[in-house]
This record gives sequence, C-alpha cells and structure tokens, in this order.
Amino acid sequence: MDNILQQQDLKFDAKPKKFVVWLFVVSSTIMFGGFTSYYIVFAASKGKGHGLVLPDAFMYSTAILLGSSIFLFLATKALRRGNRKSQQLFLWVTLALAVVFGYLQLQAWSSLFQSGATLINNNAAISVIYVVSGMHLLHIIGGLFFIMSSLLGSYKGISEEKAIYRQEITSIFWHFIDILWIYLYVFLLLNS
Amino acid sequence: MSTISLQDKHHDNHDDHGHDHHKETFITKYIFSQDHKMIAKQFLITGIIMAVIAMLLSILFRLQLAWPDKNFPILETFLGKWAEGGRIKPDFYLALVTIHGTIMVFFVLTAGLSGTFSNLLIPLQLGARDMASPFLNMLSYWFFFTACVIMMGSFFIQTGPASAGWTVYPPLSALPKAIDGSGLGMTMWLASMVLFVASSLMGGINYVSTVLNMRTKGMDLWKMPLTIWAFFLTAILGILSFPVLVAGVVLLIFDRSVGTSFYLSDIVLGTEILPNEGGSPILWQHLFWFLGHPEVYIVIMPALGISSEIISVNSRKPIFGYHAMVYSLIGITTLSFIVWGHHMFVTGMNPLLGGVFMITTLIIAVPSAVKTFNYLATLWRGNIRFTPAMLFAIGLVSFFISGGLTGIFLGNAALDINLHDTYFVVAHFHLVMGSAAIFGMLAGVYHWFPKMFGRLMNEKLGYLHFWITFICAYLVFFPLHFLGLDGVPRRYYAFTEFEFMNKWLTVNVFVTWAAIIAALAQVAFLFNFFHSIFKGKKSTQNPWEANTLEWTTPVERLHGNWPGEIPTVYRWPYDYSKPGAEHDFIPQTVPYSQTMSSNLPHDFEGNTEAEEIQKEWDAKNKPSTETAE
Ligand code: HEM
Ligand SMILES: [Cu+2]
Repeated sequence: MDNILQQQDLKFDAKPKKFVVWLFVVSSTIMFGGFTSYYIVFAASKGKGHGLVLPDAFMYSTAILLGSSIFLFLATKALRRGNRKSQQLFLWVTLALAVVFGYLQLQAWSSLFQSGATLINNNAAISVIYVVSGMHLLHIIGGLFFIMSSLLGSYKGISEEKAIYRQEITSIFWHFIDILWIYLYVFLLLNS
Repeated sequence: MSTISLQDKHHDNHDDHGHDHHKETFITKYIFSQDHKMIAKQFLITGIIMAVIAMLLSILFRLQLAWPDKNFPILETFLGKWAEGGRIKPDFYLALVTIHGTIMVFFVLTAGLSGTFSNLLIPLQLGARDMASPFLNMLSYWFFFTACVIMMGSFFIQTGPASAGWTVYPPLSALPKAIDGSGLGMTMWLASMVLFVASSLMGGINYVSTVLNMRTKGMDLWKMPLTIWAFFLTAILGILSFPVLVAGVVLLIFDRSVGTSFYLSDIVLGTEILPNEGGSPILWQHLFWFLGHPEVYIVIMPALGISSEIISVNSRKPIFGYHAMVYSLIGITTLSFIVWGHHMFVTGMNPLLGGVFMITTLIIAVPSAVKTFNYLATLWRGNIRFTPAMLFAIGLVSFFISGGLTGIFLGNAALDINLHDTYFVVAHFHLVMGSAAIFGMLAGVYHWFPKMFGRLMNEKLGYLHFWITFICAYLVFFPLHFLGLDGVPRRYYAFTEFEFMNKWLTVNVFVTWAAIIAALAQVAFLFNFFHSIFKGKKSTQNPWEANTLEWTTPVERLHGNWPGEIPTVYRWPYDYSKPGAEHDFIPQTVPYSQTMSSNLPHDFEGNTEAEEIQKEWDAKNKPSTETAE
C-alpha cells in the first residue's frame, strides 16, 4: 500500500518550475545591478566615466538581439497554434541570430581594443564594459541551451503541455537577456 | 480512482532523458538522491563535518593566542612546515582564522543550516511531495559539496589557504604576490565561493518557489509555521544579496588574474611599483557588505524560526504574537539591505552618511527585540518540557540577547571608531551570530532527528552537551568584550609584542581552556548523533506531540512523504493548551467541526455560517456561558 499516490498528484505541474526561472531572472538582474552600482560609485568618485564613443557593433548587435526575440515570440505563437514545423523554423532563426549577436559582441571588443580602450586599463570604467558584456554573453550561451532544449523537444514530439513549458521558460529567459542587454547598452551610453 | 507508484510520478516530473527503468539503487537513493529528505541529511552531515573541521582550526589558533612562546612538537607532526618547531607560523595563523570564519559563516551556518532544515521542513510542513525542482535541489547539494572539497583542498597546496580574513579585503587578496595565502589559495577560495553561491541560489530559488506554489489545501500563508516563514524570507534575502557578492568576486578575479584595476591603485609591493591605477578597495567593501550584512541575517533567521517552533511546542503554549513575529522577520529582511555601512564607519565615510547608516542600524534592533520579547512571553508561565531541543532553543534566546546588546554599541558610529576591528566585535558576532545560530541548529537537530532517522537521540547526553557548551560559550566569548574595550585588535598573531596587551595573556589562557572543554563536549554530541542513527530508541510518529504536518507522515519516510492523499490543513499550527480542548495540542489537520468544545469566535475568520453552527452548539452544550445573548 505504501508508495502509492493519487492520480491527481501526477499531473505535470509547470507553474513552480516556471517560477524558478523567474527567480533566476531576479537574481541575475541583481548581479548586473552590482556591476552597474560599482560603475556609478566609481564614476561619481572619480568624476569620469568610460569616456568613449561605443563601437557601432554594439548598435547592430542590439538590433540583432531584438530580432531574435521577435522570432522567438513567433515560435511560441506557432507552437500555440499547434504548428511545430514553423515553431522549429523560427527557433532555428532565433538560434542563428543569437550566434550572430555573439559574433558582433566579439567584433565590438576587438574594435574597442584597437582603439586603445583595452580591458587592462587604469580607467576601471572601461574594464567594466568588457566585464558586463562578457557576463551577458555567458547568459547568451545559457540561453542557447534553453533554445536547443525547446528545439529538441519539438523534434522528439514531446507532449503539448511539456513543449509549451519548455517554450515558455525559453521565452522568459531569452526575453530577459534581451532586455538586460538593452539596459546595459543604454546604461553605458548614458554614463559615458 | 487509479493509483500509480511513486517512482513514476517522480520521473515524470523532471525531464524525460529516456531512463525508463526506474529502480532505486544505492546511488540514486543515497548519493544522487532527489528526495528532499535525503538531500537534507546530506547537507546536515556535510555541515557537521565542516563544523568539526572549523572548530579544530579555531583550537589551533587559540593555542597560539594563549601560549605564544610555547612549542607544541605535536603540531609539527600534523602541520609540517606550517608549524615548524611546534609553533604555528604567522602566515598559517592568518590562514586559520580566514578558513575558520569562511567555513563557519558560509558552509556551516548558511548551507548546513538552511540546506538541512529548509530542505527537510518546507515540503513536510507545507504538505508537498517534494521541492519545485528536485533536480535543481540535488545539484545544489553537489555544488556545495564541490565547494567544500575545493576549500579544504587549499590546505594541501604549497602556499596554503587564503589568509586575507573571511571578508577577503583587497588589496591584500587581490595581489597574488602579497603573501603566500594570496596566491593559489586565494584563487581556490574564490572558486569555492562561486560554487557555493551558485549552490545557495539554486537552493534558495527552489525554497521560494515551493513555498509560493506548492502548499497543500488550506495552508494559506497565515497558517504557515514560523519555521517556514523564516526559511522563506531567508531564501528571499539570499536571492537578493548573494548575486552582488558574485559581481564583487568577478571583479576581484579580474584584478587578480587579468590585471585590471577595479580595486587597485598606487601600490608598491616590496620595491616594485605596480602599474594598477584608479581603482578603489573601498568599492569591494561596499559590494561585500551589501551581501555581508544580509548574510548575517541569512544565518540567524532560520535559527530563529526553528526556535519559535520548538519553544512553542515545548512550552505547550501558542507562540506569543505570531503576526508580530512574521512582521518582524519581514522588517529584518527589508532593513538588512540598508545597514551595510555600519561595517565601514572607519573607511573615511562621510559623517552624514555614517549617521544615516547608524540610524538604520539602530532601527533594525527593534524587530530583533520584538522577537526576543515574544520568545520570553511564550515561555512565560508555559507548561515547559525541558527537552534538549528546548534547552538549545532557550540558549539561542540568551545568546541573541547578550550579543544583540553589544550590536547597539557598535551601531553608534562614534563608539565604533574605537571598537572597530577589536575583540569587542569578535565577542559581539560570536554571541549573536555564532553561538545563537549554532544553538538554533543544534536545537533543530535534536528536535527533528526522529523525523530524519526514525529514532530518538539520547536525552542524558543531550543535557550534558547543552550545559557544557552553553557555559563554555559564555566563558569563551564574554571575556573578549573586555579585551576589545581595552583596544586589543583582532587577527593579531603576536599581540604580546605590545606592552599594554600583555596583561591579557592570562585571560587568553582561560579562554583557550574554555574553548578546549567546549570542543570536547561536542564529542558527546557527535557520538550521540551517529550512534542514535543506528541504535537510538525507535521514535513514535509524533514524539513531541506537535501540531505541524511533518508529524502526520509515517515514521518510515517515504519518497513522496504521505502514502495516501496529502492532508488538508484547517487551522494555524499553534493550538497548544487551548481551553476546552480534549488534549493539549490540536494538529493542523483537525477541522473545527471536531473541536466544538474549544473553538473561539475568531477561529472562523468571519465565516458567519460556521459561527452560527458554533453558536447553536454552544447553546446546547454550554448553557451557562452563551445563552445570555
Ligand atoms: C541588534 C542588532 C545588531 C546591531 C545593531 C549590530 C551592529 C553591528 C555593527 C555596527 C558591526 C560592525 C562592527 C565593526 O566591525 O566595527 C557588527 C558586526 C558584526 N555583526 Fe552585528 N549587529 C546586530 C546584530 C547582529 C546579528 C543578528 C548578527 C548575526 C546573526 C550579527 C553579526 C555580525 C557580524 C558577523 C559582524 C562582524 C563582521 C566582521 O567584521 O567580521 N550582528 N554588528
Ligand atoms: Cu552588519
């Protein structure tokens, strides 16, 4: 008799797990809050920020990342309509744009570096640019895993409930890192 | 109604990676377990081992403080070149205090305490089968375990462990060449802490999600035991503060390994002028203490929650001021984010800002005091059962008072300028945080041991353990106040080199003896703990006659917790000695319809229908009191 459960407990419950992703978003936001507070206090006490014109690559990468969010949104809509083929297509596009984003970030670093604004710098505000964009890039890599798990699930034909769950946590995370990057970019633009 | 075995449900819940045959093996049951109860035990036992290690480290540096000129050849046998000729070396002394502090604060009192009791009690007291994400929960333990291994590993490298203090202030910690301990040992410290923070976050996120989403029917927030409130708010505190430490640590890693200048400026190392320019070590202090102060409450709040429960159960009285307890926990949680500056009064802080931090610091003493008074009021004229758990809970209250009072001294910027970095601070936090939280943790172990292992611990040994530890803790830490008032600084290896401190040598000898006796008393605990796991007296289902849900689960501890349906909750957890009731406790699962003789009007929370029924019943059965209406 023991080890027996009622049927109602067996339902897959996505809500608490989705909430876990939300809480991760909160704590990650706070970590970046830590970096930007460092920047603010540093800049306030030295009376200077990074003092650079940010490379154009950052502008393009921002646009690309926004685009990837739109395609992810389309993928979710496709899944809701039950159209897994177009969900897969849109996820692939998202994935590709994410890779382009990563490439553009590296591009931006290289043009910063060539302009003399190196990571090892006696102006820590410039080093912060590398650190925050680098930590953000780590989040992008994490996001790629989310996208791939959604994609994999779609190909394997997992149940609708679970497919939607995976798609949803991917969306929460990906839209978050999108907004996060916009925040960082605007922050760096405003506090030069 | 169809029924299916538990393993299937479990396996349904996490991702389908295709292992369909699900038999529990030794590995899935005891090692990579996803059952919250097993994970709790893993945290507890790892925590106990780390606590013993950290305690032994403290005995080593206490030897140095008491007998600075004496040789202990045996030390050389164990420590080799770090205690050449039987004398602990200055560098190693610093490593000892650093690792002692780090282990105690983070590994024992954060992971050991929250990891054990949040994991054990959140699902059990809320009526859930497991955590929101059992997989993440398992990961959380293994990150913690790896962090422990790396931290201990630093004892086995040439240059020894980190030695910049548990707060690892740069520039000392940022310059690998500054002292031995800032080399590889410091790198390992940082790596270990990154894993530790990841583990804490995974745990905390899981706890919060479980509390908010997985309570059983009837368990609204205001019916939760205070333990759960405390664990819940602790987890929130962790989620909001630990990431800031990560930010600080990342920048420190860059300074150490890449050559950036986040915290460094104008440094001459030996004869070499370092190129780093423009950074500021004070910024590390801000980032560190923005976590560090909440961290001390992350340590104490679970212990306070555990004590609330144990004191109420063993006083056979409802907890005094349940709502006030919750609101003061919320108050502490909120306020603890705006007081970090009190650790930085001597950093050249603007006096106005110092004043602000001083006021916020003194305000946080108010909710702390509310909690203390409520404990005392709960004990007042209770029908007290002095179980070992109860004694330890009362011990917590005692330490929380005596250590909290000195906090009010330190919170005054003008006084703190004198007291900062002296033994007064050491006395303060070892009483209010160290001793109080350890006592809360031990109280929890004695109280919930039957839930974890199905057996009882030996009471006699428990009393012996309590009295020696309690008395010795005061003998160790109380005298340190006077050293501090006289200006003896903390973390000094050779304090006898200073004329005015020589007179404190005898006190240090006394303190070291008290510490040694306290350490020996822990043997009674360790023996009791491990022996009782296998040989203790078998426990009944509800040995303490408590109201909370965990005692409605079978003694055998099933994966999934309840064999049948999860029980429904009808009342708050503190109906002890309710007038008119048959027994002196009414479990949360007993509906009001079964306790007509003890119901009170406010029990129905404005449900008029139930009030009517109660009135009719009263009219029939208690003619003398209610007919007047
Ligand atoms: C009554 C409320 C409290 C007040 C007003 C207070 C105030 C202070 C102040 C001002 C300091 C800084 C002293 C210095 O470094 O010069 C301090 C240090 C400390 N407090 Fe408290 N405290 C209180 C309660 C607590 C509690 C409840 C805990 C832990 C559970 C705690 C743990 C610590 C620790 C660990 C340190 C020392 C950190 C270090 O420098 O290594 N305090 N406290
Ligand atoms: Cu503090």
